[in-house]
Amino acid sequence: MVLVADDNEVAQRLCRRVLEKAGYSVLIASDGLQAVDLALAQNPNVILMDVAMPGMDGLEAMRRIKAERPEMRIVIASAHSMASDRERFLAAGADDVLSKPFRLGDLIDVVQKLTARPSA
Amino acid sequence: MLPGRGPSGVVMFRRPGLVRRATPYAAIAAVLAISLATGASSLVVFPLFAIVVLSVALFDDREQLFAIGAASALAILVISVAQLGPTSNLATAVFEVTVLGVVGASVQEVVRHAREAEGSAEKKVGELESIDHRLRLTLEAATIGLGVAMTDGRWVEVNQRLAAMLGRSREDVMQAGLLDVMADTDRGIVGDALGKLARREIVRWESEVEQSARDGRRIPVALALAAISDSGSSEPLILVQEADISARKRLDAMRDTVVAVRQVIVTANSWDQAAPALLASLCTHLDWDAAQYWSVEGDRHALKLRSSWHKEASNVDGLDDPARNLSIEAGGGLVGRVWQSGVAAAMDDLAANDFEQASAERRAGLRAALAFPVVSAGATIGLVELLARGVKHTENDLLSMLSTTGVEIGQFIQRAETEQALRRSEADHRAIYEHSPIGIARVTSEGELLEGNRALLHMLEHDLDAMRSQAWPDLLRAYDHAAGRARLAPLLAGITDQRSVQIRAATGGGRWLWLQLTATSIPDATGRPEHVLVMVEDVTTVRETQDRLAEALDSQRSANATLEKLDRTKTEFLSIVSHEFRTALTGIQGFSELIRDGGLEADEVRAYGGYIFNDADRVNRLIGDMLDLDRMESGRMSIRVTDVDINEVMSDVMTRAGSSSAVVVEFKADLDPRLPIVAGDRDRLVQVLSNLVNNAVKYSPDGGTVTLSTRAEGAFALMSVTDTGLGIPPDEIGHVFERFRRVRSGAAQSIPGTGLGLTIVKQIVEMHGGKIWVESAVGHGSAFHFTIPLAKEHATPLQRRHA
Repeated sequence: MVLVADDNEVAQRLCRRVLEKAGYSVLIASDGLQAVDLALAQNPNVILMDVAMPGMDGLEAMRRIKAERPEMRIVIASAHSMASDRERFLAAGADDVLSKPFRLGDLIDVVQKLTARPSA
Repeated sequence: MLPGRGPSGVVMFRRPGLVRRATPYAAIAAVLAISLATGASSLVVFPLFAIVVLSVALFDDREQLFAIGAASALAILVISVAQLGPTSNLATAVFEVTVLGVVGASVQEVVRHAREAEGSAEKKVGELESIDHRLRLTLEAATIGLGVAMTDGRWVEVNQRLAAMLGRSREDVMQAGLLDVMADTDRGIVGDALGKLARREIVRWESEVEQSARDGRRIPVALALAAISDSGSSEPLILVQEADISARKRLDAMRDTVVAVRQVIVTANSWDQAAPALLASLCTHLDWDAAQYWSVEGDRHALKLRSSWHKEASNVDGLDDPARNLSIEAGGGLVGRVWQSGVAAAMDDLAANDFEQASAERRAGLRAALAFPVVSAGATIGLVELLARGVKHTENDLLSMLSTTGVEIGQFIQRAETEQALRRSEADHRAIYEHSPIGIARVTSEGELLEGNRALLHMLEHDLDAMRSQAWPDLLRAYDHAAGRARLAPLLAGITDQRSVQIRAATGGGRWLWLQLTATSIPDATGRPEHVLVMVEDVTTVRETQDRLAEALDSQRSANATLEKLDRTKTEFLSIVSHEFRTALTGIQGFSELIRDGGLEADEVRAYGGYIFNDADRVNRLIGDMLDLDRMESGRMSIRVTDVDINEVMSDVMTRAGSSSAVVVEFKADLDPRLPIVAGDRDRLVQVLSNLVNNAVKYSPDGGTVTLSTRAEGAFALMSVTDTGLGIPPDEIGHVFERFRRVRSGAAQSIPGTGLGLTIVKQIVEMHGGKIWVESAVGHGSAFHFTIPLAKEHATPLQRRHA
C-alpha cells in the first residue's frame, strides 16, 4: 500500500493511476496533517510525500510519522529539486527522494525498491 | 742680664779668723812696749794707735773696734802715767783717747754703712743666683720650646724642648740660629719680625710658621718673639717661644678638608665637575702635591684613571693623565691594593716599597702616597690617590677621616649621577614637550592652563594669553561635554583617565578643527593629582576622512544589503518559480508519458489531455505574469496615461467575470456616478480590476457576493472589490502582495493561481501613483481597495457632465 500525500490534484491523479496500474493500492492525502493521520491509521508500505503543502508541510509530517513509526518508508517527492534540497530531505530522514517532474518508471522503481525490502 | 756670674772679688770679704782678730792687739802691745822702752811721748806713738784703730774700724766689726779702741786708750794712759808730768801728759792722753775714740767711731760708722751696703749686695747676688736656677729649671721643664736669641737670630740660650722639636741636639740648634731652622717659606717673615723687634718698633710678634726638622719634615709651630728690655743697651734680647702645633694643624687640616670636600660636593653638579676641585682641595688642605681619581669600571675588572690634579709648582711630569686611559688591576700597587681591600692605606716612602705601580710615581719624583676607597652602597666605585714629593708620614686618624670622606664622595657620585640622569630625562621631556607635534597643555586640577607648547598654540592659532583666557576654557567645556557623553570623568573635576575624547573647536583664525584630547593626571609625591597633562591632536583630516569613509561605507553597506536582498529575492524567486514550473510540468510530463505509452481508454486520454492543457496553460500564464512583473520592476513597461472612465471599466470587468465564472457569485456595483475621469492606462486598469474580481470569485468557492464600488477621495478615485469569501488569515494578510504568497490554508489550498497576480496589481496601481490595500476577516471575506489619481483637466467638465 502506497500513501500519496500531495496537494496538487493532478499529481494525485497521476500517482494513483501509475501505482494502481503497477499493482499497489493507493491512499491519497491532500496535506501534511492528513498524511500523518492516514499513515498512522493505515500503515502504508511506502509514503510518497510532497513537501510544499498547505498547513503542515511534508517534512514536518515525515518527522511526526517517523517519530511514531521509524520503520515506515517515506519518499519525498518534491518540485524543490535543487541539489541542496535532496541532501536536506535525506538529512531530515527521507528513505529516498524523487524529483518532480519524474519519469513514471522512476516512480515505480523507487516504490518497488522500498516495498521489496522487508519493511522493518 | 743673667745672674749667677758675679765678680769673684767678693769672696775675700768673707774670711774671718782668729789671726785677723788678734793682730790689732799684737800691734797695740808692740806699740806700747816700744813707747815704754824708748820713753817716747804718747803723742809720738799716737799715730800708730790711730792706724791700728782705723784699720780695725775699717775692716772689723764694732766689738773688735771697741775692744781695740779701749786697748789703745789704756795703752796711751799707761804711757802717759809712766812718763812724768802726769797732768800735762794726762790731758794730752785724754785728748788723744778722745780723738782716737771719735775717729774710731766715725770710721766704724762709715765702715758699718759700707758693710751694710756690702751685705745687701751680697744678698742680692744670692737671690739672683736662686732666680737663675729656678729660671733654668722652668726653662727646661716648659712644655714649649723656649730660647733667647739676639736680634740677628743667633741663639743665646735654647731649652731642650726646642731642640727636640727640631729633632736636633741643643748644640746643633745653638749653632744654627733661629732663622736657619725656619722653613724656607717662613724665613723671611721671621727675619722681618726680628728686625722690627731690634728697632723697637714692636715688642712682641706672634705667628704660626713652619720650621724644618733635621729630616726635612716641616713642623708647624706657634712662634712668639718678645723683646726683653735690658738696661737700655742698644739692641734687646729676644725671648723665643715655640709650640709644636702639628697635631692641632693636622686636626685643623682634617677638619678643613672635610669642610672643603663638602663645599665642593655641595656646589658641584656632577662628579666630572667636582673631581678636579675635590682633588685640589684634598691636596691643598692635607698638603699633598698631586692627586688622582681612579674609577672602578663597569665590568669591575680594572681601575681607570678618570681625573688627576697636581700643584702648579709641583713637577709631576710622568704622572699619567686620564687621556692616557691608564688602568690598574685589582691588587696592583697601592691603589689596586686599596681597591681590593676596601681599606684606606698610605705609604710614607715609596722608595721603601717595591710595588710595580709605584714606579711611575717614583719616576715622577713622588715619595709618599695615600689611597682611600670611594664607596657607594657598600661597594668600592673608585679610589682617590694622594701623592707627595717628599716623604710623608700619615697618621691613622687621617686614614679614618679619609675613609669617611670616601663614603661621602661615593654618596655624592651616586646622587650626582641620579641627578644627572634626572636632569637628562627632564631635558628629554622638555624637548619632547617643546618639539612635540602634538599639542600639550599643562593644566591645574581646576582646569587652569599653566602652559601650552608651541604645537598647541600653533594648532589653535592663539597666543598663550588668548589661549588661557578664552580658548582653553571653551575647549575644556567641550571636553567635559564630550566626556559626559562618553561616560568619562570630567577634566575639570581633576579626575581623568587616559581615554580620548574628540571635540570640535574653532581656532583663532576661525577654522573649525576636530581635536582629540587625552588627559592624564600627574600625581604629586603624595599621589594626589598635582596637575593634568592634556594632549591635543588635530584629527580633523583623520576625522573628515573617517566621516567620508563611514558615509561611503554606509552607502556601500546599504547598497550591499540591497544587492544581497535582491540576490536573496532572486534566488528565492528562482526557487519558487522553478517549483511552480516543475509542479505544473509534473502533470504535463506524467500524463503525456502515459498517453505516449498507449494502452489507454479514449476517455482517459481525453481527461489526461485536459490535465496537460490546464497545466500548460498555467505555465503559459506564469511566464506571462513573470515577464509583466519583470518589465514593470525594471521600468521597461510604461503606462500610457489617458482619460479613463473608471466606472465604465468596472462595469465591463464585472460583466466579463460574471459570464466566465463557473461558480454562482452575485455581482453588485456601487459606482459613484459623479466620479471624475481618472488619469490612467485603461488596459492596465482592466488588468487590475480583472485580477481582483477573479480572486474574489476564486476565493468565494461557496458562492457569495462580489461588490464593486467607486467613489472620489480627494484628488483620487477610490475603487473597492469586496467579496464574502474565505478571507485571509491575519498572519498572511501582510504578505498577500508579495510574489508567490498565495493563501493556501484550509479551503483556499486548491485554488489555482500563479501567485503573482496581486504583485502585478500592486505594481500597476503604484505605477499610476495610487495605493492598494486589503481588509479581510477569515470566513467573512476580503475587501481590496485601490486609488488612482483623477485627471485634473477633466475633473470639472466631467463633474459638470454628470451634474
